[in-house]
Amino acid sequence: MSTFLRDKHIAYVQSLDKHHESFEYWLSEHLRLNGVYWGLTALCLMDAKEIFNKDEIVQFVMKCYCKSTGGFGPFPRHEAHIHATLSGIQVLATYDALDVLSTEQVEQTVQFIRGNQLSDGSFQGDRFGEVDTRFVYTSLSALSILGKLTPEVVDPAVEFIMRCYNFDGGFGLCPGAESHSAQCFVCLGALAIVGRLNELSEDQLEKTGWWLCERQVPEGGLNGRPSKLPDVCYSWWVLSSLAIIGRLEWIDYEKLREFILKSQDSKKGGISDRPDNEVDVFHTLFGIAGLSLMGFENLISIDPVYCMPYYVTKKFKKYPY
Amino acid sequence: MHGVKRKQWTQELLKQKKEQDRKRITQYRGLVDKLLDSRDSKTYNMEVFKETTQLLRINPEYNAGWNYRRDIIEHLSPELKHEFWEDELAFSMALLKDYPKVYWIWNHRKWTLENHIDKSVKIWLRELAIVSKLLQMDPRNFHGWHYRRILVAEIEGRTGQSRDGEELQYAIDNTNKNISNYSAWHQKATLIPKMFEKDEIKDKKKFIQDEFTYITNAIYTDAEDQSVWFYIEWFVKNHIVIDALGRDELIQKLQELQENILAINEDDLQFSGKQNNWCLKVLIVLEDVQRNLKVQFTPHSHEYLAQLIEADPMRKNRYLHLLHRK
Repeated sequence: MSTFLRDKHIAYVQSLDKHHESFEYWLSEHLRLNGVYWGLTALCLMDAKEIFNKDEIVQFVMKCYCKSTGGFGPFPRHEAHIHATLSGIQVLATYDALDVLSTEQVEQTVQFIRGNQLSDGSFQGDRFGEVDTRFVYTSLSALSILGKLTPEVVDPAVEFIMRCYNFDGGFGLCPGAESHSAQCFVCLGALAIVGRLNELSEDQLEKTGWWLCERQVPEGGLNGRPSKLPDVCYSWWVLSSLAIIGRLEWIDYEKLREFILKSQDSKKGGISDRPDNEVDVFHTLFGIAGLSLMGFENLISIDPVYCMPYYVTKKFKKYPY
Repeated sequence: MHGVKRKQWTQELLKQKKEQDRKRITQYRGLVDKLLDSRDSKTYNMEVFKETTQLLRINPEYNAGWNYRRDIIEHLSPELKHEFWEDELAFSMALLKDYPKVYWIWNHRKWTLENHIDKSVKIWLRELAIVSKLLQMDPRNFHGWHYRRILVAEIEGRTGQSRDGEELQYAIDNTNKNISNYSAWHQKATLIPKMFEKDEIKDKKKFIQDEFTYITNAIYTDAEDQSVWFYIEWFVKNHIVIDALGRDELIQKLQELQENILAINEDDLQFSGKQNNWCLKVLIVLEDVQRNLKVQFTPHSHEYLAQLIEADPMRKNRYLHLLHRK
């Protein structure tokens, strides 16, 4: 039986911003603000939030705020994108520091997000039009954290999500697209955020639950689609989806736990997509988040809807207000 | 990071990498800073355009770089000739070969086609042929299938003609090649109800009868793979099936299917000493459908579930849930 290497993971996350000498560090600038959210959330779950310097991080987040659009970019001077915008807001909320944004700034951020909603209820990631249910989730989650959801945004978004429900009970990235576990999470998460899970009938949910629990493969890990390899990040996408629809126990916890723990790097800490692969902060968070959802390793409990600790999300205003 | 093997770094290797990286970082950051400065000073010319090429070749995930590149193109577009747009397509194709899973590249390729100087349907049809080739190399590529559906919608919009028939055939060709191509089964399940609704299938009854034959052959080909089973679960419950066949023939078809599944399960039991879990799971579905059709039969679902709890313990809580439902 493997053990959870808490101290090593904390040291790994702590080391992430010290790799300025590595080329890969610079190649991943476009995910830096997301990376901060992944790292910070992983630390929160391990009850080690103090490892990051709050003031430095909040300053960094504000450097990513893009004055001209009101959104956040993934790195200072990059362009604002819906995904980075959610990460920025999540980090500020985790630090209970949303008040560093002035009322006008919040208003601009809300305008940025709403400005990316299209007439069919979907959202584009930025001004260049990539549409994906990921961005519906990202937008609704960000607006929810800011307490700024409105029926004008929510109703068409819900309608769009419902059009992405597939023959097998899963969801795709747009209407007609194949089911994928990560898209299940964003669609179910979005419906949960706006209190509209009841759009799905009991039969539909049964089907979703069945498709999701069939993602567990004999190695214990979960995959994103049928006949694909297991991957630690699906410990989050699949598990959170099952949790949201009240069927978390439909997979085998012990086997999944074993798969996640086998994907740890026992030397330098961190978790990889599958055993013996290179670790990264994304898989480190989603592995730990999965363990938290299953109640292992004395981790702080995570909210499956927001992928943030409950002690943070319980303060969010519940929609409809 | 996905699918990258963990590497053991010796001190010597680390030293070498550090040395190399120092140069690469200086070059890369220099390029990035220069480009962001040009962007901020609203410079739009061929020279900076080429620099975005350089940057995106090193890092195709640099979104701000893609956006700036498109801004430059938009500013220069009145003077851009046919050849430019073709080169732009060649650029994204070269990147896709190395990075077939990067969303930004697919998105840029779509943008290029939308803004191409040639507004005829020809380039979209050519693109459809290209994506068919890409999907041949990786028949489950998520991006490829998504992109394909975008192309088809564009072509339909431009010609005013439905391509549902061709796309259904494409999906069938794919399941013929590999019965466990789930992406193709998905495509079938999406297209068929649409085609029924639009009256694109002439003989609906024959179509459904043939589909029963097809799925039966599929489970005889590979009874382990979940693709066809999920399809069956959807198919037998769909209203198009009962609408086309009527209750009596549907009941007969369901019973034939049931007998075939029982035979496959029996074969597995004889051969490996184990029942086939997917057979059991779908036999339960067939009993549900028959119950809804008010067919009189002796149910075995509880036995199947008891068997599954033993044979497929990872999902035992789902089976317990089914066992205890009303």
